[in-house]
Amino acid sequence: MTNYEEVKVRGYEDFCKAVSERKGKDIFAYFSGNKDEQGVSWCPDCVKAEPVVRGEMSHLPEDSVFIYCQVGERPYWKDPNNEFKKTLKLTGVPTLLRYGTPQKLVEEECFKADLVRMMFTED
Amino acid sequence: MAAFCRGRHRLKSVGCLHTSTRNLTGKFDYDVVVIGGGSGGLACSKEAAQLGKKVAVLDYVEPSAKGTKWGLGGTCVNVGCIPKKLMHQAALFGTAIKDAQKYGWTIPGPASHDWATLSAAVQNHVKSLNWGHRVQLQDKKVKYLNMKGSLVDEHTIKGVTARGKETTLTARNIVIATGGRPKYPTHVPGAIEHGITSDDIFWLKESPGKTLVVGASYVGLECAGFLTGIGLDTTIMVRSIALRGFDQQMAGLVTDYMEAYGTKFAWKCAPKKVEKLTSGGLQVTWTNTFTKKDETDTFDSVLWAVGRAPESQLLNLEKAGVQLDTETGKIVVTPNEATSVPSIYAIGDISLGRPELTPTAIQAGKLLARRLAGVSKELMNYHNVATAVFTPLEYSCVGLSEEEAEQKYGKDSIEVFHAFYKPLEFTVAERDASQCYIKAVCLREGDQRILGLHFTGPNAGEVIQGFALGFQCGATYTHLVNTVGIHPTCAEELTKLNVTKRSGLDATVTGC
Repeated sequence: MTNYEEVKVRGYEDFCKAVSERKGKDIFAYFSGNKDEQGVSWCPDCVKAEPVVRGEMSHLPEDSVFIYCQVGERPYWKDPNNEFKKTLKLTGVPTLLRYGTPQKLVEEECFKADLVRMMFTED
Repeated sequence: MAAFCRGRHRLKSVGCLHTSTRNLTGKFDYDVVVIGGGSGGLACSKEAAQLGKKVAVLDYVEPSAKGTKWGLGGTCVNVGCIPKKLMHQAALFGTAIKDAQKYGWTIPGPASHDWATLSAAVQNHVKSLNWGHRVQLQDKKVKYLNMKGSLVDEHTIKGVTARGKETTLTARNIVIATGGRPKYPTHVPGAIEHGITSDDIFWLKESPGKTLVVGASYVGLECAGFLTGIGLDTTIMVRSIALRGFDQQMAGLVTDYMEAYGTKFAWKCAPKKVEKLTSGGLQVTWTNTFTKKDETDTFDSVLWAVGRAPESQLLNLEKAGVQLDTETGKIVVTPNEATSVPSIYAIGDISLGRPELTPTAIQAGKLLARRLAGVSKELMNYHNVATAVFTPLEYSCVGLSEEEAEQKYGKDSIEVFHAFYKPLEFTVAERDASQCYIKAVCLREGDQRILGLHFTGPNAGEVIQGFALGFQCGATYTHLVNTVGIHPTCAEELTKLNVTKRSGLDATVTGC
């Protein structure tokens, strides 16, 4: 079992703060639509992908960071000018990415455990 | 049976056909192992996997002399086509900014170029392609090994990681697709220590500054072209001719444009030595073979573009019995891409007598995979492959050069239709179009089948691509002139060709 830090954030500002506080670290970020009080996200693909991603987290590199970020409610996400789309260049949720690298998995790619594991284990 | 398949989690059963394949595979670890994850290797491995074969691909980049290395995808993605085209585009924007002012745009002050911004953007894109290829391989169930591969015997490959860890794989068939690397002029003192190649130029963090490009192949011309375009003092040193192997009239138009555009040419010169100065610059001494005198100048960078060669020795090919061409080091292949060893094939730049182009390697790789899977007998057709040179004035062609056509059919049996045209965009921009030119080399008799099409001008590759289809279908001059042009374009001038070289008439296109 590797040692990694999981950070839960909500919204773009929170996300940026979490990243800036962890300079020099290998940061993986998982973006999901907000969950309601029952813990269910408005984004059905996010609901499907989360257990797959969580299932591979034991493969995260030692001393890495896993940021679980809820992006917002559906209308906010649908706005093409939201900060995640504009600045982080996200195109869909769920997105799993390795911060500062071009490595990312978008939507159905997150359903594939072997792709998730590949991202966590390869350079 | 599954117990005999290593990496079994990779193979997804899609029906009973694959169960029987797996039975046969049981003797070998893989049906196909590809050495080389470039244009040819990736296409071949993905196609084979898609056809149900158990495939592995080994990719490894030996760092350049300067220490540059890169990820999955081969030369095209990392140190060839892709970064080249992006940097060429950067240079074109420089010209466009100047032209824009004639079209009414106000540009405050002269535009300056920042190398760091360009190289970072290009490198980012390349890295996203490395990742994309990695995901594709995984998705298509191709086993990827970041290891240096070499042959042990006709069915066995040794892979070594960067850290020195060894693995052995066995395969029913092996495909060598390791491509080539830039050559250094080893007889020139200081060449390796102080010079760079195309392997390095796209990965430099700092601007190359005042550069000497040695070599006038398309690599040399394209690099010198974009370096000039982004504002750097650039000189090309040419031993004899430019674009050897290409139509020489067209090569002359390309270099004429470059000279007018600001690239300095040192014709008929051969480098003698490169020395590092205490000031940090590089002093290059060369012999002007025309005047027989030695000349010298100082540069920030020296870029060798004097040819490419495969790194065959590291692959251990000869020990496995694979016949190589002694002059080039390339692998001798049959039209089936087979080598002298029945289970070993070769595609892409490492195979002898093939165009050194990405699309041909990709197509050859796919067709080979289909033949290995037994679903097709189709061989790769290497004829009539269109290509483009992305120099400041682009050049694209399909078919024979005028010289080749003359040699093959005799000057009297061919008719060359040609035209000097002016792209509409150049008019307002007040740009010189003296080298914008088109020629169709045709048979003289009957419908006058087109033997070769040549075009210099903006977006040359985009223009010729469509005509390459017609060429493939056996287009004649009659077909060409019966095709109604799209107006206003540069491409339409091909459909209006009517002046022959033989007539001696002025080939300049007049207004519409």
